[in-house]
Amino acid sequence: MRGRWLHGLTMALPGVAMLLFWQWASGRLIRAVYVSRPTDIAGRLVEVFATGEIWPHLSATAQELAGGYAAGVASGVLAGMLLGRAPRAARVVEPYLMAFYGVPKIALAPLFVIWFGIGLWSKVALAGIMVFFLVFYNVYSGIRGVDRDLVNLVRVLGASPRQLDRHVYLPAAAPFIILGMRMAIPYAVIGVIVGEFTSSTRGLGMFINYASSTYDPAGVFAGIAILLVFVSTAGSVATRIERRVLRWRPPLASLQPEGP
Amino acid sequence: MSHTTPCLSFDAIRQDFGALRVLDDVGFEVEAGQFVAVIGPSGCGKSTLVQMAAGLLMPTAGQVRHNGHLVRGVNAGIGLVPQQAQLLPWKTLMQNVVLPLELRRVPPAERMAQARAAIAAVDLAGFEDSYPYQLSGGMQKRASIARTLVYQPDAILLDEPFGALDAQTRMVMQRDLQALVAAQGASVLLVTHDITEAVLLADTVVVLSRRPTRVLARIAIGLPRPRDVFQPFGIAGFAAAYDQVWAHVRGELVAA
Repeated sequence: MRGRWLHGLTMALPGVAMLLFWQWASGRLIRAVYVSRPTDIAGRLVEVFATGEIWPHLSATAQELAGGYAAGVASGVLAGMLLGRAPRAARVVEPYLMAFYGVPKIALAPLFVIWFGIGLWSKVALAGIMVFFLVFYNVYSGIRGVDRDLVNLVRVLGASPRQLDRHVYLPAAAPFIILGMRMAIPYAVIGVIVGEFTSSTRGLGMFINYASSTYDPAGVFAGIAILLVFVSTAGSVATRIERRVLRWRPPLASLQPEGP
Repeated sequence: MSHTTPCLSFDAIRQDFGALRVLDDVGFEVEAGQFVAVIGPSGCGKSTLVQMAAGLLMPTAGQVRHNGHLVRGVNAGIGLVPQQAQLLPWKTLMQNVVLPLELRRVPPAERMAQARAAIAAVDLAGFEDSYPYQLSGGMQKRASIARTLVYQPDAILLDEPFGALDAQTRMVMQRDLQALVAAQGASVLLVTHDITEAVLLADTVVVLSRRPTRVLARIAIGLPRPRDVFQPFGIAGFAAAYDQVWAHVRGELVAA
């Protein structure tokens, strides 16, 4: 119990030190209009929640994130499973996917606004496509790496192709699916925020963009702080799910795939 | 040709891998209820024969028949115990052993009871909820055998099943395999490079040559059962049978 407290304290120390330095340096080393200061940002956070100003932005961004992430993960897993199981089709499709993978998806943002409008759907599409590629490649290589001998053995045990998916391919790919899903969280956020920067009427990205164009650094940092809380919460939820789903693996740190 | 249909028959099997001829006119049979051991130098294509009987590999020429039926695709009517235990790492012991019954859509209550019995038969009761990584090599091998016995195939293929185990564990496994197979009355095709194992367990030992592989000899082992795996050379007639097999195997070594 004491050990955990101590550990928590050690973890918090660099962050606290940074905030203190920021507070001190702002107005002394750097003009406050460039970097604001932690107390101002805290005040701004309290204010936007108290007045309710932030809620429409938060709800818009949350919906776009949820939609884009879910669509990207679902299509990525599905495409990864299908192409992973069909090597011939994969050989034809792979070069195209590779080429498309290389395109900076951000460049599609203006196009998506034209195609899907300035509302929710252009952001869902942008986040979705960024998530798709990450999840797809992880699942695809996971499926291709499944031990052929194991697959053959389970076929002799009586498995149909559908049963093979359920009992062999899907669980074998689970570590890769989860790795892709975890890596994709920050990318979904990038997609949504960039989409909102490009053109929108609501959303945290729009809130940040507006604050920055009106020389309100406290507003910019307040928006970023909210995103930070979201991304780290989602990340730790993902880690928890990973531990639960992958409990069949030997508890060796070296066997855990590491996401960025 | 025998009057009854053999459980497994290999008829004029040829197998080429590219330009390499591995099997060249290999033929032998496993009669119903018989235990046949196939022995031969490494690389002679012993395991290839197992793959063919399981329907995972089609011979370049020749035919494999299981109960008279030509094996054309994956043969789910047969039992396969591979070299590595090959348990599914994401399933517990119980989930692994019950899998073949689940795949065959046996009702849940029935399949759980059968799996529990198979687990008990290989002395793994109490480990039902363990994941494979929590089991020793010998225990994993037992689980792999239980997974095969649970759906009661009439023929069981064992591909060097005990090669990776230490000597003591191997002896215990050989004793138990002998008893389990006898209890089930299954026909067995055991591929091995261990002469003692072959002579101890088999009714017939098929000796294969080096590549391109042919059958050098079919040697009937008439030793009484059960045979004491811990004292093989204490069995009357064992040494003679061993020497008979060894003479053929040694011929292949000297030729190399």
